[in-house]
Amino acid sequence: MMSSEDHLKETDTEARFEFKKEQKSAFKTEMGLNEETIRVISEDKGEPEWMLDRRLRALRQFQEMPMPTDWPGQPDLSEVDIDEIVPYIRPDIETRGGTDNWEDLPDEIKDTFDKLGIPEAEKNALSGVGAQYESEIVYQNMQEQWEEKGVIFCDMDKAVQEHEDLVEEYFMTKCVPPSDNKFAALHGAVWSGGSFVYVPEGVTVEMPIQAYFRMNSEGMGQFEHTLIIAEENSEVHYIEGCSAPQYSKFNLHSGGVEVFVKEGAHVQYSTVQNWSKNTYNLNTKRAICEKDATMEWVSGSMGSKATMLYPCTILKGPGATDNHITIAFAGKGQNIDTGAKVYHNAPNTKSTIESKSISKDGGRTNYRGLVHIADGAENSSTSVECDALMFDNESTSDTMPYMEIEESKVDVAHEATVGKIGDEDVFYLQSRGLDDDDAKQMIVAGFIEPITEELPIEYAVELNRLIELEMEGSLG
Amino acid sequence: MSTQIHANLTEEQVRQISEGLDEPEWLLQTRLDALDALADLDFPDVIRTPGRQWTNLANLDFESFVDPLNAAEEKDQVGPDDVEVLSMAEALDSHEDLVKEHFGSVVDPQTNYLTALSTALFSTGTVIYVPEGVDAEDVTVRTTMNSRSLFNYTLVVAEESSSVTILERQETGGAAVTPERRRASDDDADSRTGNRYYSGIVEVVGGENAYVQYGSLQDLDRTTYNYQLKKATVDTYGTVNVIDCNIGSRLTKSSVEANLDGDSSETKLIGAFYGHEDQHFDIDTRVWHNAEHTTADLVTRGVIDDRARSVYEGVQNVGRDAWDTSSYQRENTLMLSDESEADASPKLIINNHDTEASHSATVGQVDAEDLFYMTSRAVPEQLAKNMLVEGFYVPVLEEIEVDELREDLQSRIRDRLKAREQ
Repeated sequence: MMSSEDHLKETDTEARFEFKKEQKSAFKTEMGLNEETIRVISEDKGEPEWMLDRRLRALRQFQEMPMPTDWPGQPDLSEVDIDEIVPYIRPDIETRGGTDNWEDLPDEIKDTFDKLGIPEAEKNALSGVGAQYESEIVYQNMQEQWEEKGVIFCDMDKAVQEHEDLVEEYFMTKCVPPSDNKFAALHGAVWSGGSFVYVPEGVTVEMPIQAYFRMNSEGMGQFEHTLIIAEENSEVHYIEGCSAPQYSKFNLHSGGVEVFVKEGAHVQYSTVQNWSKNTYNLNTKRAICEKDATMEWVSGSMGSKATMLYPCTILKGPGATDNHITIAFAGKGQNIDTGAKVYHNAPNTKSTIESKSISKDGGRTNYRGLVHIADGAENSSTSVECDALMFDNESTSDTMPYMEIEESKVDVAHEATVGKIGDEDVFYLQSRGLDDDDAKQMIVAGFIEPITEELPIEYAVELNRLIELEMEGSLG
Repeated sequence: MSTQIHANLTEEQVRQISEGLDEPEWLLQTRLDALDALADLDFPDVIRTPGRQWTNLANLDFESFVDPLNAAEEKDQVGPDDVEVLSMAEALDSHEDLVKEHFGSVVDPQTNYLTALSTALFSTGTVIYVPEGVDAEDVTVRTTMNSRSLFNYTLVVAEESSSVTILERQETGGAAVTPERRRASDDDADSRTGNRYYSGIVEVVGGENAYVQYGSLQDLDRTTYNYQLKKATVDTYGTVNVIDCNIGSRLTKSSVEANLDGDSSETKLIGAFYGHEDQHFDIDTRVWHNAEHTTADLVTRGVIDDRARSVYEGVQNVGRDAWDTSSYQRENTLMLSDESEADASPKLIINNHDTEASHSATVGQVDAEDLFYMTSRAVPEQLAKNMLVEGFYVPVLEEIEVDELREDLQSRIRDRLKAREQ
């Protein structure tokens, strides 16, 4: 049996593949999360002293903070055992269906890949086997064309080495401090991997920057950190995640996303997450918008056992704009608690939130949102629209928006509706020759259209197909 | 969190209150149980979002204003002949079984710290009994509070196929209350200068096919902290509508709730408030759909001005067995000043998919276009503004069946608007 320390040292970029092969024995090693573990991770990555200090401070904050337990109707986190939260290892891999190679993957996942029509190479990549080799090649080719414009897009670990000044200034300081919540603190202590994006002043990155396979390419990908800095008047669209089931070996995903949108800049962050159904997805995502900047969040939450995720935008400069488009799908045994937070801290700021959710087979969705309009944020406006579609009586759908309005010269509106799939609509489509399933799928596709039309076509197609699969129950 | 029992609050006092009202043993026991439970009960739920508690109820220092043995009021209880409008003492005398059956059946005395405190200490109350098949209009209960604290209790029992409209008003009398227990810290700018406490529990039992409209106008003076819980159960084909108007008090925590327990039962929960100066209103409206084919409509409209603050929480809870539910909720707040704050959280909890449910909430100013339209028709701006604010309340006003309540609410709104101009 390897000691935990040796084991951690195995996991540098070169040895990741080997590490995976060895994991069966390694997984028998129980590890607590302590200072020593953090030091090992940091040393392993050759990090500067300040990063180690930040990790250790975050660890202390994590240890001091209580678990969130008193939110009304929140997902049950009692299974998330803090003592078992270890950066690399999820014990009991076999009962969770984990594996190192394609053949050993559970049938449901293989089926999904087949139904999605994903080529063999990608299947391997998606299952987490050897992903980084192939994806990084692609990734580097694309990188060259951006580099000419001064755009930086690289691995977050690499960014700490090569762009230390930028990272030191922005990493978990102004946007998501570890003190924000317990899982942000955890993230701050054990984070690894993720993306670093820097777009210089005035540069528009025409095509979306995608981090498609990367989440699973890292042994520690469950704590990936994404840092996006868009300088004045720049524009970038970043897409993360993949729309096939991410096969997760760990039961906790606690990522961090920080986006800095400088004056006049425009950032779109799109993500379609489909974590395996034993995953607790507890993320912190936040953007800060300066004057006249625009932030757009487009997110689809499909997978995971429980998700608690509320992407947040702070509209700091006058005239800043935020748009949220989110969709959540909860099937059997899933509790997707997601929403949006917007702080209007300056005059003439605008935000729109459009949230759609679908619950089926006992799934539970909740929209939990916060809109705060600070005193002095004159002429701000916000509009929140939530629609929930329920398929059956085992499912649950809640809507819990919170609005804190400290300024009178504002325009605030919130609207939410919940309903079942319309019998009349189904009947209409059936009378035009569609069978029941196809009719329902078509209605759902129409229901989620506001999000699919914001996504590049391949993501939109995959999102639609995933929802079709979920509706067939073929994943369950 | 639990709270210390009032240092001066004793079992002896509770026995004294009960004895003074010549109460039966079971009611005394209910009071004593509530008193006992105080140590373990929490304050009513208030909303908390990151970094802030929307209402700091737990900071209220009840010791400084609860005076259990010193309750003074004037009460006016009138109603038509076929309805019994009785004081609690009279009701216990002539209808003990009725009271025993329903007291605490809708509002559990131990719901929270403040309901338990109310149950232990209430010294005044009204029982409105509408026998089967009786149609009655305009029952009026006026309570004028003349003491430091007053604990009021109202029980409405509407039997099968009866109907009734009720207006209950709370205001503060002219009799001065010496703030004898005022402490030095009360003089701090930020401290709670209020030194009165009004607590009202209302239980409405809506029988099969019965119709009840219960309206309340709270116009207490500006030194009063006010806690009220009004809750109804509605039986098959029954309708109970509750109208909750809050004008007065320094701080109000008011909960209006309905349990739709019978198939095809209905409720409308209507709220109106107007906050000015540094008033704080925490209003919550909740409906539980527990049966099939039930309908709920929640409408709240409020204006806040100066440094006032409003907090609104609306919950539509559709249970697993509540097939074919219709549930609607609207909350609109008008802000007249920059220093005011309006917080809102309309919530939907849906466990049955055969549901049509929606909620909406808005916060904003008097609409600039409307104002422009009116001023372009030669209406002076101030008048136009006032008309628009009055008009804003129309969806609430038109629900009110008791003329006195509607007129009083309207005149309070007008007074406030007029005071604004000066």
